[in-house]
Amino acid sequence: MAEAQAFETDFWKDAQSRKGWDEIVPGEPRRTIPYTLTHEAIALYCRSVGETHPLYFDEAYAKTTRYGGLIAPPSIHIMLMFACTPADDWMRSPGTVNAGQSWSYNVPARPGDVIRLEARALDKFIKRERLFVVHDNVFFNQAGEVICSGRGWTIRPI
Amino acid sequence: MTVTFESLNAGDTIEGPGFAVSRDSIRLFCDASLDYNPLHLDDDYMKGSFGKTQFGGVIMHGMNNFGLISRMITDWAYPAGAIHRRLETRWLKPVRPGDTIRPSGIIKAKQVTAKSRWVVIDVVVRNQNEEGVATGEAMVEFPL
Repeated sequence: MAEAQAFETDFWKDAQSRKGWDEIVPGEPRRTIPYTLTHEAIALYCRSVGETHPLYFDEAYAKTTRYGGLIAPPSIHIMLMFACTPADDWMRSPGTVNAGQSWSYNVPARPGDVIRLEARALDKFIKRERLFVVHDNVFFNQAGEVICSGRGWTIRPI
Repeated sequence: MTVTFESLNAGDTIEGPGFAVSRDSIRLFCDASLDYNPLHLDDDYMKGSFGKTQFGGVIMHGMNNFGLISRMITDWAYPAGAIHRRLETRWLKPVRPGDTIRPSGIIKAKQVTAKSRWVVIDVVVRNQNEEGVATGEAMVEFPL
């Protein structure tokens, strides 16, 4: 089982222990933490972007659909990205700017899923004097099925 | 009117929800996404320059408009029995408290593969001045 732990919201706290651009090795796995997705986390995420579809809230309705039960919105990976990584992960470096992302969705995440992330930097480069890192991420459920996979481009703080 | 794969044509449009951005909405997205980067919270930090980037004040999470686009796509796809399969986005301009943003889509292409049917959608998010703040491309599957 995934262990419940308090999420560190102060991104300055572990700033010195995180890898800077120079230390990031493309291909090297990031340390990740399994996370149990809760109804509460899904509801909070839905509220933040105005998601109101009954697939995310109404069990009786969700059972009548192709999904056979409640699911999370596809973009729940936005919160899983941080839920599944430790406080010293370089994605939390203050000043990290998101330049773009692409995500492919396979099976939906569901409340109660124990979700595992495999993640790494895939590339790093300098463009217009800015330091970029490309990261890739794959989320799996407890059955080993791929939930979604994504690639992102971030500009690293100097 | 229920959308069907057969009835769709290139150039058809999809309208997404308007979203009023405020310090409260940004704070809520921090709590929901667990992304507490000072870019979104700390006025003092945002007075400085970092990574050769200067915004001059707190900005909304780029992934907030990614979430809004996803909501537009799923709200459109679910009633048709279709599945949101992919979304790629690039951020063009920062979004700030006081802005109102709205995603929209234009169907670009339909394609049938060996085992399914696909719709490719160009996506844009605009602010209240009709400036594009994000652009992207989505794929939706209409299972056979």
